[in-house]
Amino acid sequence: MIFLKRQLPLAITFVMGVVFALQYYIPHPVSEEAITKVSDWMKIISGFALVLGIASVFHVHAVKIRRQAPGWGYSGVLFAAIVITMGVGFWSGGESKADGAQTAFGWLYDYTMVPLQGTMFSILAFFIASAAYRAFRARSPEASVLLVSAVVVMMGRVPLGQFLAPWTWDVTQWLLNVLNSAVRRAILIGVSMGSVGLSLKIILGKERSYLGGGKDQ
Amino acid sequence: MIPASLLFFLLLIGEPVFAGPPTSPEGFRVLDTPNDAGKSLSLAWKASPSDSKDRTVQVWAAKSPPAAFQKVAEFPSNTRYVKTGDFPWWVQPAGKGDHYVKLPSSQAFPIEDGKPYTVKLLTHEGTQDVWSEAAEGVSAPNYFNLVQVNNLVFVLAFTGVLLGSIAAARRNPHIYLRRIAGLDAVEEAIGRSTEMGRPILYLTGSGGMSDVSTIAATVILGQVAKKVAHYETTLKVPHRDPIVMAVCQEIVKEAYVEAGRPDAFKEDTNFFITDDQFSYTAAVDGIMLREKPAANFFMGSYFAESLLLTETGASTGAIQIAGTDSDHQLPFFVTTCDYTLIGEELYAASAYLSREPVLVGTLRGQDISKAFIMSVLVIGTALATAGVMLQTDAFNYALDLFRDFK
Amino acid sequence: MKGALKDFARRMIAIDRRIIFLLIAAATLLPLLNPFGLPIKVSPEVKAVYDYMDALPERSVFLLSFDFDPSSKPELEPQAVALLRHAFRKNLRVIAMTHWITGTGLADGVVAQVAAETGKERGKDYVFLGWAPGGYALIISMGQDLYKAFPSDYSKTPTLGMPVLEGVRNLRDVNYMVSLAAGGAGIEMWYVFGKDKYRFEMAGGATGVIAPGLYPFLRSGQINGLIGGLQGAAEYETLIGRKGMAVAGMDAQSATHFVIIVLVVLCNVFYFTLRGDKGKPV
Repeated sequence: MIFLKRQLPLAITFVMGVVFALQYYIPHPVSEEAITKVSDWMKIISGFALVLGIASVFHVHAVKIRRQAPGWGYSGVLFAAIVITMGVGFWSGGESKADGAQTAFGWLYDYTMVPLQGTMFSILAFFIASAAYRAFRARSPEASVLLVSAVVVMMGRVPLGQFLAPWTWDVTQWLLNVLNSAVRRAILIGVSMGSVGLSLKIILGKERSYLGGGKDQ
Repeated sequence: MIPASLLFFLLLIGEPVFAGPPTSPEGFRVLDTPNDAGKSLSLAWKASPSDSKDRTVQVWAAKSPPAAFQKVAEFPSNTRYVKTGDFPWWVQPAGKGDHYVKLPSSQAFPIEDGKPYTVKLLTHEGTQDVWSEAAEGVSAPNYFNLVQVNNLVFVLAFTGVLLGSIAAARRNPHIYLRRIAGLDAVEEAIGRSTEMGRPILYLTGSGGMSDVSTIAATVILGQVAKKVAHYETTLKVPHRDPIVMAVCQEIVKEAYVEAGRPDAFKEDTNFFITDDQFSYTAAVDGIMLREKPAANFFMGSYFAESLLLTETGASTGAIQIAGTDSDHQLPFFVTTCDYTLIGEELYAASAYLSREPVLVGTLRGQDISKAFIMSVLVIGTALATAGVMLQTDAFNYALDLFRDFK
Repeated sequence: MKGALKDFARRMIAIDRRIIFLLIAAATLLPLLNPFGLPIKVSPEVKAVYDYMDALPERSVFLLSFDFDPSSKPELEPQAVALLRHAFRKNLRVIAMTHWITGTGLADGVVAQVAAETGKERGKDYVFLGWAPGGYALIISMGQDLYKAFPSDYSKTPTLGMPVLEGVRNLRDVNYMVSLAAGGAGIEMWYVFGKDKYRFEMAGGATGVIAPGLYPFLRSGQINGLIGGLQGAAEYETLIGRKGMAVAGMDAQSATHFVIIVLVVLCNVFYFTLRGDKGKPV
């Protein structure tokens, strides 16, 4: 059992990791064929991940309903919404008919999904204003620099600011293309090294937390 | 007899007139395009002083044994030169300043591997045409892209440094790591929650277990859980990913056992909400507003939901500590949280707190590699600048080692 | 007097957030009802996308990836509409797709709407391939064989033999590609697994939040242009000479930015007013 849970996955990870790391350097069609086959497998696995996601949602909320845990009514609402959406989707056969008319599924998408997601995202505009009011104070020299550059960029990125103070446009472009690029590049290098380091550790079996369970060295 | 002054004048303005008839391209050869997947030929020939935009070069090709030739390309003769930066010095199919044309397989002229093709050039200017000697070439796929050998060397070197650092950390886990500012606040946050009798909320972000930041977040969770176990404070960890939840469940359980308080461990410390971004955010916001945790931890990778979470948390008066490698969300965390671990500080925090040799060694290996990159940046910039000022390509031998060629 | 001023400052520092929300709501709504209309300045990064598209010959292949869902619709849909209008005006062959399953209906709607207004025919001038799982694996698959990655389009028509895809076997046959991205699966993924391997030119369109993070890619030439947020969309609409939702939204954006600037300035005035108070929290 340990072999199936630990050794086998580690061996597969090692072999596949090394082979497809080297694939990058091999232009031969055999290498391209291999990556195409693997990417087909990845697509299938990604598809199954959707099924896994739905199954885990069902399981968690079914347990909640069975135990009548606090808020179990909302789990019932969730189930009803999933069943209705799936049912309508299968019955409608898509979001629009052959003649372009909207189906019931299309109506559900346009009048529930889109406004709900849009609403949640638009709350950000209000929250950033209250966060800025609370936090953008010149408490220190660094905070003052942050404050001034934020004000300049806010002006430089909108037509009204460009109209009232045309220099803010040029300063904004410089801040974005020079300072911002430099800093982002530095963070990107660091984070990318972290990702490469993690990938190498996973391939070489040094990092095993992705296998689940507790520590296992 | 042309007067000398008129001759001089004509030479000045009428150079093209005196360029002479077009000549056959010198040193024309056909070769297999190097470092590719096959089905491509390359043509190379020496540049001529009389190359100009008025003179065109046509490429005619045929399958050997000679079938009918067909025109496959045409361009002005003063184009398609090998320039600095086209090829690394260790793979140069043609010299700098020579002409080099790649002829990939196309619908108009398909090229198959292993079959010989004959190519010749027609130099055309005005009414004058000159054919070159025909040359033959065979296309073949290559097993290794020599152009990217520098990339492979650096990957192998980085791997070596990483493994070496991990081995060194196993021998001596007390390698110096700079104290991260936000870590002092962890103790303070837990203490505050205990005094106020309010729970601690810990989020592990949007990523899965294959994300570096999620792994770092779970490690920090283990350390937080150990401290929480001592003080018997309530810990709540809502999740977006069932696999991360399963891993965190084990980590928290182990933390309580290590702290000597297995009885205090609650199964529902870790719970799954949903994997949908904004549904999860709405649920967590609801928890924050109802239960008013005294401390919120936001560790891992985040997207648009970051501000929705942190601003709601700030409105409840909680102390907030964030750590993320999602650089696009950093402004929101910095603005709304009391402490923010930026990018690698999150990875460093997990190494600092746990002192696990793998984490500490990885951090040291990354630091060594970054020091190398910084040195290359400084030296490379100096060399490139010197090359421009001195108008020499000599420094390209060093600079090419760090260039990304395709 | 001084005491009254400090009390006022103290009350204003701790003002109810909902008042700020109301001010933002007013700043957003009022300009939409009474637009004032100001000229839009075009940035070099947006112009680069426009110039490249404009220089493409007719019937060139343009791939547009809608890598966003309805939450980013306000910023990225105007970009998509402007790009599609330009592409159809240039008689380019448009291939549209998405990596975000929740954005499929939105993407199909946008493409169909712009195609209808420009008189373009599905299958002949454009195709919407829809969504397929895999993320970067899908890009690799498209890079090898487009028809294997998408055997049929979103309306279940077989892709093999479609006039719009004539001569297109894989991503190497794409002349220009733009990814409109709201986050994870987007521009970086298209560059690493698409452009780096299959050598097509590409640009990016992103929300205002993630756009600054893409400047390193722009500066290094990995993407040839960048359309950032609603401002970027407005710039593109200005370039194609057809004002749309983005230009209309810029008035509201201008007003909102200014309200935030005023709030920040006021907050600092109150902060400095109270700063002399020792022992009292600010």
